[in-house]
Amino acid sequence: MRRSNVIAIIGALVLLFGMTTSAGADETRTKFDSLFVIASSGGVQFREMVEPAKDSIAAMGEDVAPWLIDKFTTKSARERWTIIHVLKRIGSPAVPYLVRALKRSDGLVVQRVCWALGDIADSAAVDPLIDVRHHSRWQVRDQAIGALGKIGAYRAEPVVIEALTDSIGQVRKAAAVSCGKLTADDGIARLVHLLGDDFYGARMSAMESLLKLDTTFVVVALSDSIASDNNFVGDLACRIMGQLGTPRCIATLLVQTHADSPSRRAHAATALIHMTSQNAESVCSFLSMREPDRLARLKMTSALNAVINEQ
Amino acid sequence: MCYRVILCLTLLLTPATLVAQDSSGLTPEQFGLRHLSEYLSLQPDDISFRPDYTEPDSFRLQIITDLMQHPLQMVDYTEALRAAHVPKQPEVLAGILFTDLAGENQTVRGRPYRGKPAELHREYNLHYRDVDLNQLLTRAATYLNVIFPGSTEMMLSELTPSQREFLRREFKEIVVVHEEEEFFTVEQSDSVEKVEEGYADEFVEFGYKIDPDPVVAAGIDCLREMILEVGNLQKRIRSGGTSIKELLSTTGYLPDNVDRESYLGLQTGWKIGGTGSDYYQGDYQFILDLGGDDVYDLEYDPAHPHGVIIIDLGGNDAYRTKSDFGLASGCFSVGLLLDFGGDDRYDAQSFALGSGFFGFGLLYDAEGVDRYDGDTHVQGAASFGLGLLIDEGGRDIYNAALYAQGFGFIRGIGLIYETDGADSYYAGGKYKDLLRYKDHYLSLSQGFGYGLRPWMSGGIGGIIDLKGNDSYYSDIFAQAASYWWSLGLIYDSSGNDNYQAFQYAQGAATHMTLGILIDDYGSDVYFGKGLMHGCGHDYSAGIILDRHGDDTYTAYDLSQGAGSANGVGLLIDSEGNDRYFVKNRLNTQGYGNPRRDFGSIGLFIDLGGDDQYLGNGQNDYYWRTDSKWGGGMDIELNPPDSSEANQ
Repeated sequence: MRRSNVIAIIGALVLLFGMTTSAGADETRTKFDSLFVIASSGGVQFREMVEPAKDSIAAMGEDVAPWLIDKFTTKSARERWTIIHVLKRIGSPAVPYLVRALKRSDGLVVQRVCWALGDIADSAAVDPLIDVRHHSRWQVRDQAIGALGKIGAYRAEPVVIEALTDSIGQVRKAAAVSCGKLTADDGIARLVHLLGDDFYGARMSAMESLLKLDTTFVVVALSDSIASDNNFVGDLACRIMGQLGTPRCIATLLVQTHADSPSRRAHAATALIHMTSQNAESVCSFLSMREPDRLARLKMTSALNAVINEQ
Repeated sequence: MCYRVILCLTLLLTPATLVAQDSSGLTPEQFGLRHLSEYLSLQPDDISFRPDYTEPDSFRLQIITDLMQHPLQMVDYTEALRAAHVPKQPEVLAGILFTDLAGENQTVRGRPYRGKPAELHREYNLHYRDVDLNQLLTRAATYLNVIFPGSTEMMLSELTPSQREFLRREFKEIVVVHEEEEFFTVEQSDSVEKVEEGYADEFVEFGYKIDPDPVVAAGIDCLREMILEVGNLQKRIRSGGTSIKELLSTTGYLPDNVDRESYLGLQTGWKIGGTGSDYYQGDYQFILDLGGDDVYDLEYDPAHPHGVIIIDLGGNDAYRTKSDFGLASGCFSVGLLLDFGGDDRYDAQSFALGSGFFGFGLLYDAEGVDRYDGDTHVQGAASFGLGLLIDEGGRDIYNAALYAQGFGFIRGIGLIYETDGADSYYAGGKYKDLLRYKDHYLSLSQGFGYGLRPWMSGGIGGIIDLKGNDSYYSDIFAQAASYWWSLGLIYDSSGNDNYQAFQYAQGAATHMTLGILIDDYGSDVYFGKGLMHGCGHDYSAGIILDRHGDDTYTAYDLSQGAGSANGVGLLIDSEGNDRYFVKNRLNTQGYGNPRRDFGSIGLFIDLGGDDQYLGNGQNDYYWRTDSKWGGGMDIELNPPDSSEANQ
């Protein structure tokens, strides 16, 4: 065969291959777009088609990850949820694409990428997430710190603990939650301080996380802070101690039943009633007898009823 | 064992401390809220939402921004609205609502077009002899010919002709719903959705340039003058100072070839009617009817917007229209319908009966047993403007399909103010809620605020009803509820009222928004399926506050003080022997669920009476639910004096 003919045949093959590849890519994209319309549809009449469509997109694999990420600019909440769900189903293969997207200038996309990385929970995302911990947009910091907790990134503990003092309540909340997930005992002191936070999400999340940390250290920290001028610290300390139920907790709570504030006395008393479930009736009876505030007494009898109902 | 010994020893050695409960200076609901919050390690100030959860838009009302940061102030705001109306003076309420139309960070409010001297001093020939009548007609002519058109021009001055056209066509399409959408395929549904999203994207690019202030302010000025002038005429008639016959007496013979446009009251689109049964048909600018049972078949063409003033002094009238914007509709202008007596029927299509669509629409009915029928954006409904329906007497019936009965869309405030009578409100039954159910209908009415998520914040929709045993019927999204940076409210002062809805209702708020239902007196019934009775979903606050009466609350789920997705739900019942029923106790009666890794707030407060529960609550009881984070209390705030009870 003449050399010119060979070149012509190869050229034609390359052209044909190129056209086929291009047509294939177009076909894949069309299929993706079509499935995405169904996966993100909201009508009740299409409800049964939604999950299979999401599965079908996920089955297309990591190739569709960049398209999904590009769609993160959507204004539709339904589409946003669809993207998250599909990325989660694709899982780790999508992570490199998501990590690259953390460098995008659109903060809205970055925060949603952090969210997806947290849901996928692949440790390959830890360092990139740490890198955005000081992002100017608080929503990014919120999602990144939360994602580190979901991933279980123990080496990110210092970053998470540092975020407990962020200027934005939502970020402090995310840090408190992640401290619990990472069992970050080094954060106990700051978490106790967070019990008095202005933002209820941070305050209550700190309470829940402290219940997951080393009981001995937590009780010491709570006992030291229970007389804080910030009533939330003491009130929540009572609630935590009521659940931890150690002897030191009881001793501390008993002291609090003498507090000036009827609210504090009630917090301490109800905690004691809950933790002494076998003797709850007598404990309640005694504490009620000497309690001058009728509403505090009602809180105690309510606690007793709750204990009895649970039994 | 060891700690039990410590406990018992310490208990025996413990002295009691006497501290009095100090609740002075607080209303019962404030005390209750503070007290329950303390019990749950919360504080009332926790009920607050940041303004930057999403990107702020250019359409947010300042009052919404303020209330989102302090949702509990909705109580004061709603009470202030209740006190805002002065009988026989609808302009007072309109003026107060105008102040609330201020946009976020808007420091200067637009004023009406003032008119050039030549425009204002146009001279008419007098056809009628009466000075007061001519004064009324002159003032009306000034507004209709000069001030309203000029104000509309000011409102739209920064828009291109195609953008103005967009408002009339595409923007209207954003508002209306079509019944046939129920039968669309998934592709068709997606296509429609994308088209509407495209409209929203396009509108956002220029919508912020629209300032409805000049038109609304002009309408209120006009209303003030019309009420004054009509009042003067009525006084003279009542006192015998003049008669209808004298009032309608003319200056003399009018030849056929005379230019009627130069005669006051005879211009095209103008009509003065006597005390007989008159019939009006067509597209009018001004009608003054002095009495009788009249029939109005009115039309309006939004392609040629103009002001409309209709004044009817009495009689059982029938107002009808077969076109949108046909009755009491401010469509790119001002539409005033003032009916001063009789049992009237108002039969409209859409955008009517107190509808402000880039304008100010008012329907004022001073007395009588009336019936109002309409479809979409009716009966106190507004988008970029003010829509107001004030009815001062009688047992009235309100019937509509969607976006009605106190509906506030973008930069709009829509309100019904009802002063008397056992009224019934029905909204729904036409457009299906395709996102959620095959067999339920959207209402989005009865004190409903609505924004276009996430493009544009919404407005304020409300019903204030002072007296009577009222009935509120609706389906999905209604009765003091809202969606997306809006406020929906109902204040019902008295009567044994009946509230029926299916979902998202009765003090409910969904997606960064606010809803409040206050019912002062009467033994009321609140019934529905879910997301109601004080329910806030997604950074929203839903409040229901019932101050008196033996009330009954029934719901299936996510209700009665339920916070969802970082929202706040608050139920407060201050007095009475009440009954609370729920089907699912896992997410009701003081419940909060987690989202974004933290909880919501659900508070249930009953401050008095011998109450009955099916659910988490009990009479004389405090409880925390197994949720993030919520609970409730049923206490006797003012317990009876036991020494008296024993006597």
